[in-house]
Amino acid sequence: MKRRRPPRLLAAALALGASLAAAPAPADVSIPFTRSTLPNGMTVILHENHDVPLVVVNVSYGVGSRFEAPGRTGFAHLFEHLMFMGTRRVPTKAFDAWMEGAGGWNNAWTSNDRTDYYDVGPPTSLDLLLWMEADRLRDLGPLMTLEKLDAQREVVRNERRQTSENTPYGKVELRLPELLYPVGHPYHHPVIGSHADLEAATVDDVKAFFAKHYDPANASLVVAGDFDPVRTRARVEQLFGAIPSRGAPADPGAPGFSDTKTTLTSVVRETIEDEVELEKIVMAWQSPRHFGPGDAELDLLSTALASGKASRLYKALVYEQKLAQSVEAEQESAELGSRFVVGVIARPGISLDRLEAALDKELEATKKTPMGDDELERAKNLVETGFVTRLESVRERASLLNMYQAETKDPGYAQKDLERYRAATKEGVRDVAAKVLDANARVILRVVPVKKGKAK
Amino acid sequence: MKRALSALALAASLGAACGGEDAARRPPDAPRPAAADAGAAPDPLGPKPEPGEPAAYTPPVPVHYKRPGGTEVWLLERHALPIVSMQVVVPAGAAYDPEGKGGLALTTANMLDEGAGARGPLELSREIDRLGATLRTGAYADYGFAQLTVLKKNLTAAAALFGDVVSKPQLSAVEFKRVHDLWRNALRARQSEPDAVAGVVVARKVYPAGHPYAHPSDGTLASAAAVTLADVKKFYADRWRPDRAKLVVVGDVTRAELDAVLDQALASWKAPASPPPSESLGVPAPFVGRPAPASVRRVVVVDRADAPQSVIAVARPGVSAFDEESAVLTRVNAALGGSFTSRLNQNLREEHGWSYGARSRFSFTRMRGVFVAQAAVHTEHTGDALQAMLSEIGAMAKDGLTDDEVDKTKQLARADLVEAFETVQAAAARLGRSAGVGHGPDHEAAASHVAARADKAALKRYAAQYLDLDAATIVIVGPRAKIKPQLEAIGITAIESSGPEGQ
Repeated sequence: MKRRRPPRLLAAALALGASLAAAPAPADVSIPFTRSTLPNGMTVILHENHDVPLVVVNVSYGVGSRFEAPGRTGFAHLFEHLMFMGTRRVPTKAFDAWMEGAGGWNNAWTSNDRTDYYDVGPPTSLDLLLWMEADRLRDLGPLMTLEKLDAQREVVRNERRQTSENTPYGKVELRLPELLYPVGHPYHHPVIGSHADLEAATVDDVKAFFAKHYDPANASLVVAGDFDPVRTRARVEQLFGAIPSRGAPADPGAPGFSDTKTTLTSVVRETIEDEVELEKIVMAWQSPRHFGPGDAELDLLSTALASGKASRLYKALVYEQKLAQSVEAEQESAELGSRFVVGVIARPGISLDRLEAALDKELEATKKTPMGDDELERAKNLVETGFVTRLESVRERASLLNMYQAETKDPGYAQKDLERYRAATKEGVRDVAAKVLDANARVILRVVPVKKGKAK
Repeated sequence: MKRALSALALAASLGAACGGEDAARRPPDAPRPAAADAGAAPDPLGPKPEPGEPAAYTPPVPVHYKRPGGTEVWLLERHALPIVSMQVVVPAGAAYDPEGKGGLALTTANMLDEGAGARGPLELSREIDRLGATLRTGAYADYGFAQLTVLKKNLTAAAALFGDVVSKPQLSAVEFKRVHDLWRNALRARQSEPDAVAGVVVARKVYPAGHPYAHPSDGTLASAAAVTLADVKKFYADRWRPDRAKLVVVGDVTRAELDAVLDQALASWKAPASPPPSESLGVPAPFVGRPAPASVRRVVVVDRADAPQSVIAVARPGVSAFDEESAVLTRVNAALGGSFTSRLNQNLREEHGWSYGARSRFSFTRMRGVFVAQAAVHTEHTGDALQAMLSEIGAMAKDGLTDDEVDKTKQLARADLVEAFETVQAAAARLGRSAGVGHGPDHEAAASHVAARADKAALKRYAAQYLDLDAATIVIVGPRAKIKPQLEAIGITAIESSGPEGQ
């Protein structure tokens, strides 16, 4: 899965006379860039902009949790943590220490499909940032030790406890993938993985994973912000160009599965007990892949359903019928297939059966009658403003260039991405909803408070 | 925090963006020299680059002027993208909640967009969405706010709605009933959120009873039950006045354009004839502006049976945003718990694996605030982790920062400011904070110089003064039965109990 508000960007780094919403003329929403490929197959994208004295280095690797071996759930994300554990040139702890010493910081994330690392710093730090990224891509795997692995294994297990196990409703994300996708589907397990599998990971696993997936031909480097492109290109070629490649690993995809045909044949129900005060219903469907036909329509539908007080679900369930405390809906787009998820937290004393019936009524309506022109216009305008806002930040622009590169092979896809939303019609949204939101092929998960006094 | 899973908790990543490691204090493990294997052939990557000093960065100072109604405008023009963000701040924060009515300030702010001018709440929301705008209202400890962000082409239309929200809220009984119900449900839900519980209990235990900052801005179940629509109407009338408001505007708009927009949007926002209520925060609380009262360390446990982690908060009185120490302490904090390589995070996370992350902060408030160091740790290491936190904070109080930390925190303080002013929304919120607390428009610029100038001796002095833990308050949210023996093993035997609201 991906970040919460999926890739819907728009607008350009540089001044654009953006006439968005109302006028039919498409806005200029491009992020200026140049792209080249190093002899070892590594993609290099430069985006120069001097508005703010910052540089960002973003390195995206084409590996996520869907590439994990059986019995090794959570490994791609665990590996992401290990990428900071050091080499000969950059001893353990020095990666962060040197970067922060130069006034920079970094972070990384892992999804089903990708692992993305980014560094932010003042222009004077760029050479160091590039040197450290080149160093770990070149040398990290063979230098892995059990000590490094054990250190991050414990951190990741605590990440799981903090974000999933000790947070209200956090257990949904642990269970939903297993219910929504069958055994054998690469999205069947959660990105964070199981404790047992995290405990089972070995140093040899790490070395093999690095050798296979952390290859320059499987990587895309973005440099964005306040830098000199001529000097930087030469430096990138020097640092990264000689890293040997074994070739990009083949993407196994999801053989036997299609993002346009759900594997669910009935309603899959489950109830989870959690430390919560208010009960919750989560519904999920398999839906079309990111950038596939219907993906933008479902993104617009999620906005119309749950964004703002006037949205369908908020208005009906929270505002008028007073059954719900809050509502959420999202098309969580991913490369091999997405999931459309609706979540509703019940008010105290409202039965989940009653809430579910009311929710179903609203969802059925979107499948029968096209939404109003005004509803569609609102959804489109909200989406578009979201894109412009994201373009303000150098870090976001770097991230978007690599997202488009990874998923469409075109870092400059922003304009076409926007066109998907502009072209959507209310009939199109209805038709996709009717096809995807099948009442008899979905997961319905309920979260209820732990029964007090129950032996554990 | 760091290295987040994209599916989870992504938004938080910007929060913890500065800090440093300390090679002198704790040498890195097994640091084999970089050149060890490079004897035979030259290293293809060459030597480690040594970054030069970044150019100095001073936050921008907005132009400021008074409007006819008495509102002070702070305008920072930014023309790179066609976006404008504006924030009204008024001295109407949770600190002004009447005794027993905690949450009134926040609820008043929340009611502003539940119908305003001629539009009911749904119509208003619809219209904001149609313009692709975002509108938020809320209240912190010192101030209430309303913030609008919109594409320039829709500024006039959106500002008219914003003006209605600020100056003509309907405050209707029907909508209040609904908002009030949702509020009370949210307070019930808060009891099962361990971080939120820790925050509520810390404030309740660190500040003396009745102190304006002792209650949470969203109140308690008891205080929510006591708040009425009449309270909201009075609070709004008393405190959301144009002659006490400041309006921060950042983005693609000139002063002339802005004035034309505001002349229409805020035309009906008039100050009442009555004088405004006092903005002093009432009774000077016992420790305001003075050292903490001599007292003993307290340990309070909020039971959360079967929790896989304990949330530990180590707290003590901090500083006021008006104390000069405030700017300097951001650097002390960056070294202690304000960045990834800070001592607390390195110890609990990188060295011991007890936690996904540990951090600390000094609050930035008009009156003296708090210092809090916090981490969610594996339950079975609650005692170890608490001891490590106390020891790290104690070492910083005793010895101050290392030379590396002195240098690093200067860079990180600069970096934090560059990003705080990068986007129009972030810049408006940051300037709004200065305005809301009561600083002038040049505060960030001035504070950046104060922070940059602080030398090792000053940093050590402030660390000693503000990190002493003799009278600390320690709050732990976790399974009491499993925690108690661990605390006893590190010599803590007097353990108080508390409910999730500090009761």
